[in-house]
Amino acid sequence: MGASLPPKEANLFKLIVGLTLNCMDRKTEAYELVRQGLKNDLKSHVCWHVYGLLYRSDREYREAIKCYRNALRIDPENIEILRDLSLLQAQMRDLAGFVETRQKLLSLKPNHRMNWIGFSVAHHLNSNASKAVEILEAYEGTLEDDYPPDNEQECGFLERALEELHKKEFKIVDKLVYKEQEVSLLVKLGRLEEAEKLYQALLSMNPDNYRYYEGLQKCVGLYSENDQFSADEIDQLEALYKSLGQQQKYYEGLQKCVGLYSENDQFSADEIDQLEALYKSLGQQQKWSSAVKRIPLDFLQGNRFREAAENYIRPLLTKGVPSLFSDLSPLYDHPGKADILEQLILELEHSLRTTGQYPGRTEKEPPSTLMWALFLLAQHYDRRGQYDISLSKIDEAIEHTPTVIDLYSVKSRILKHAGDLAAAAALADEARCMDLADRYINSDCVKRMLQADQVALAEKTAVLFTKEGEQHNNLHDMQCMYELASGESYFRQGDLGRALKKFLSVEKHYADITEDQFDFHSYCLRKMTLRTYVEMLRFQDHEDDEMSKLPPSQKKKMRQKQRKAEARAKKEAEEKHEESSVGAASKSGKRHVKPVDPDPNGEKLLQVEDPLLEATKYLKLLQKNSPNSLETHLLSFELNMRKQRILLAFQALKQLLRLDAEHPDSHRSLIKFFHKVGSMAAPVTDTEKLIWSVLEAERPTISQLHEKSLIEGNRTFLEQHKGHSQPLPNVQYENLNICSIVMTPPHPTLLFFFLLADSLMHRAAVAEMLYVLEPDKKPEAIKLIEESTNNIVPKNGALGPVREWKLKDCIAVHKFLGTVLVDNEAALRWKVRCAEYFPFSTYFEGSLSSAVPNSAYNRICKRSENGSANHSGGETGDSLASNGKLETFKDLTI
Amino acid sequence: MGGGREVPISLEGLRDKNLMQLKKLNTALFPVRYNDKYYADALSSADFTKLAYYGDICVGSIACRLEKKEAGAVRVYIMTLGVLAPYRGLGIGTRLLNHVLELCSKQNISETYLHVQTNNEDAINFYKKFGFEITDTIKNYYTNITPPDCYVVTKYITQSKK
Repeated sequence: MGASLPPKEANLFKLIVGLTLNCMDRKTEAYELVRQGLKNDLKSHVCWHVYGLLYRSDREYREAIKCYRNALRIDPENIEILRDLSLLQAQMRDLAGFVETRQKLLSLKPNHRMNWIGFSVAHHLNSNASKAVEILEAYEGTLEDDYPPDNEQECGFLERALEELHKKEFKIVDKLVYKEQEVSLLVKLGRLEEAEKLYQALLSMNPDNYRYYEGLQKCVGLYSENDQFSADEIDQLEALYKSLGQQQKYYEGLQKCVGLYSENDQFSADEIDQLEALYKSLGQQQKWSSAVKRIPLDFLQGNRFREAAENYIRPLLTKGVPSLFSDLSPLYDHPGKADILEQLILELEHSLRTTGQYPGRTEKEPPSTLMWALFLLAQHYDRRGQYDISLSKIDEAIEHTPTVIDLYSVKSRILKHAGDLAAAAALADEARCMDLADRYINSDCVKRMLQADQVALAEKTAVLFTKEGEQHNNLHDMQCMYELASGESYFRQGDLGRALKKFLSVEKHYADITEDQFDFHSYCLRKMTLRTYVEMLRFQDHEDDEMSKLPPSQKKKMRQKQRKAEARAKKEAEEKHEESSVGAASKSGKRHVKPVDPDPNGEKLLQVEDPLLEATKYLKLLQKNSPNSLETHLLSFELNMRKQRILLAFQALKQLLRLDAEHPDSHRSLIKFFHKVGSMAAPVTDTEKLIWSVLEAERPTISQLHEKSLIEGNRTFLEQHKGHSQPLPNVQYENLNICSIVMTPPHPTLLFFFLLADSLMHRAAVAEMLYVLEPDKKPEAIKLIEESTNNIVPKNGALGPVREWKLKDCIAVHKFLGTVLVDNEAALRWKVRCAEYFPFSTYFEGSLSSAVPNSAYNRICKRSENGSANHSGGETGDSLASNGKLETFKDLTI
Repeated sequence: MGGGREVPISLEGLRDKNLMQLKKLNTALFPVRYNDKYYADALSSADFTKLAYYGDICVGSIACRLEKKEAGAVRVYIMTLGVLAPYRGLGIGTRLLNHVLELCSKQNISETYLHVQTNNEDAINFYKKFGFEITDTIKNYYTNITPPDCYVVTKYITQSKK
């Protein structure tokens, strides 16, 4: 076709065809054509540009940049290419390059405002803020922008920034941000009095902004990260918040607005009446700011806390605020406050139930107040792990007012915590059915279904809220990370292929989000939304940190890959066996059996050549993004142990010990590592010898093992973490043959602290390691676990005991007994015991769980079955209807 | 805490999306499950079926069925009327019944009726206040409760000129 064209045009033609093909998803052909074009004319900037565009559309940005650079070498002043290049540089955060390109663009087209701004932004991003300011100043005349202050603040010229800010006040449109900037500069400059006033002013604009309160506290020197204050400070703070609560300023302004203001409070009788009415209505609203009443709960203690909490909670129960518990829940981490809250709410409940009023009031509360109090109590007991009380409270609330959806959602959550996932999903579905138009409730229900491993049902439910048509794609496009939960469910069910597929799509979401920035590089410069643009770029850079939210998925993925690797290793071993007996034919035959379908189930994904290598990729990501997570290093340890990378495993081990040496998993890793090292053959090669010498040099630095054998180390760990046992050092464990040596704990103070810590998981770790080190000590290991006691947490609450053990941990122990120690009897004993502690747990088949007939959940199901029998009644239904109606009227008092 | 704690009561129509609210109410209020026809009738009665909200909480309902009489006329049968126990005595039942009666008079529907068990004096008195009268007695209307008889309680609204 192109034969009839002159060479240059023929080439161009090829490029156009190439680009078209690219758009048509025929990538390989496109690349082929463009490469041919280049071959024909290496000096064509168009060819290079198109080549770059191809790479860009494939998100191969580095390659694309190279191509653009080549193009620019040929045509250094091509605006198009320069602009494209600058976008890529911004995307890749090649900031130096970005500045350079922007400068070039500016020098070529100095009459474009966007080029000035772009150059300035480039400098700003490249942390050369003073330069950015200079550029802007040079271009000042036509500038109407609120950009500079932000800018200068970052470069440390605080004084100047403030000056500039004041100078530009009239130009800056966003007054709120102006004030926020100003106050932050004042604080940084140490001009606290001015800052305090400004914070007060900001609070009058928005009395519910917690950051302003925090700032104000800092200004008056009453700030503490964790709300630890001296008695004196608490007094001052209380006074501060009291005065804030009565903010004169609002009232003054309000009076002015309604034309009822006088300097010296001289009013006519009529005005006084009006004012009285005004303040009455204000008093009734009682909610100028909930923040000003909520914040003191953080720092008050004892009786003053109680009083403030009661004043805070009462009106919110009256009003019916479903989120009240989550608002209060941080207080449960403060010692003693949970007990106070419990007593307080119980008293309210009692008073409401018996008199319909709050204690000490004569006024009747709305009927719903009792229901909200029960609702709050249910969540309180849920938080404390007292699921039976919690459920009885929520059931009572549901009986009181069966139409409130939140009650069902909370009941679902309680059941989930109590360990009955199927019942939790059923309840969530009930809540969903009560408002089919509510996306949140729908999502909540999907989550519960996934937790109960009802994936098919969950997908059907989720799809209800997607657009018509391609529903599953749509679900994916919403980037709601639903794949995380669904992948986890598949993982639990052992469907590794599907799980992996889901996890990978989460990863893709993150890639897409990073990708989406691209649209903004040009758009934001054009639209001049610079502050937001810079903010967005910074946010994206922090996304890596944000990705620590992602790791659970990746971690799982890795774990899964490891598991897979194990399975694979086993299989290979089997295959080798077969090979020797049956010959190679069966081996290849076996390989071929695996279906090669287009992979809806992720089976192909499972056939990765080297799963451990894949896993290493993700491990690297994790190490980069969440280096302070214990789990990262735990995985790194496991992975490297499997890969026989002794030194890397050791590195991970050291990180584990650094982060939390007392964690059961750190301990496990420590023992496992040295046990493995100890069982390895003597070093032969130079590398092996090198590794050996490194370990030899390092071992003494590990305090847990100082001069001790592993068995001793294991025992020390046990002693340090043995629940409420008496202080050491001379405890004898008659059950443990290994306890011949008396240990002095290394850090007596630390030790005391850990004595109070939960010890079940530590025991389990010790037992497991005991078994690893001395397989014949299995009975001791089991005994060690079975001797644990589920202690009662001391508290003053009125209802029932709170125990220490967590359901999750007990399940882990059960699995350990069954699968690692392989003692079914012990596992069964453990199960029976835990069924007592966790009667709602389906895992332990507790007596109240849906795993057992006649449980609460199954009763619900039965009831609805009875009901549906009536449905078919046809005509009788009507007569029954009237029958029912009569019942109501009996109670209907008029 | 002032006396301004009046919680607003509002009526809302029945739709597919909130049908479950009515079901929940009926489960709590009446000892039977209603069949699908009941809910279909309620949905198709349009404005004649209402849920009552106390603030944001659904606490009561009136559900009616529109019945065709001879010569194209329509009458209203009140299938159920009920308010959750804790929320009674707040005028919600009255509000619901008045709504239906007003609607009847607006649409020139001359007859509204329902069934009441013969011993349910509270209910009979309640309806009498609104101008209902006992117009008939049906023997053995109920199969499994005593007394098994019911009254037909009817309100005739004099037609406003057409």
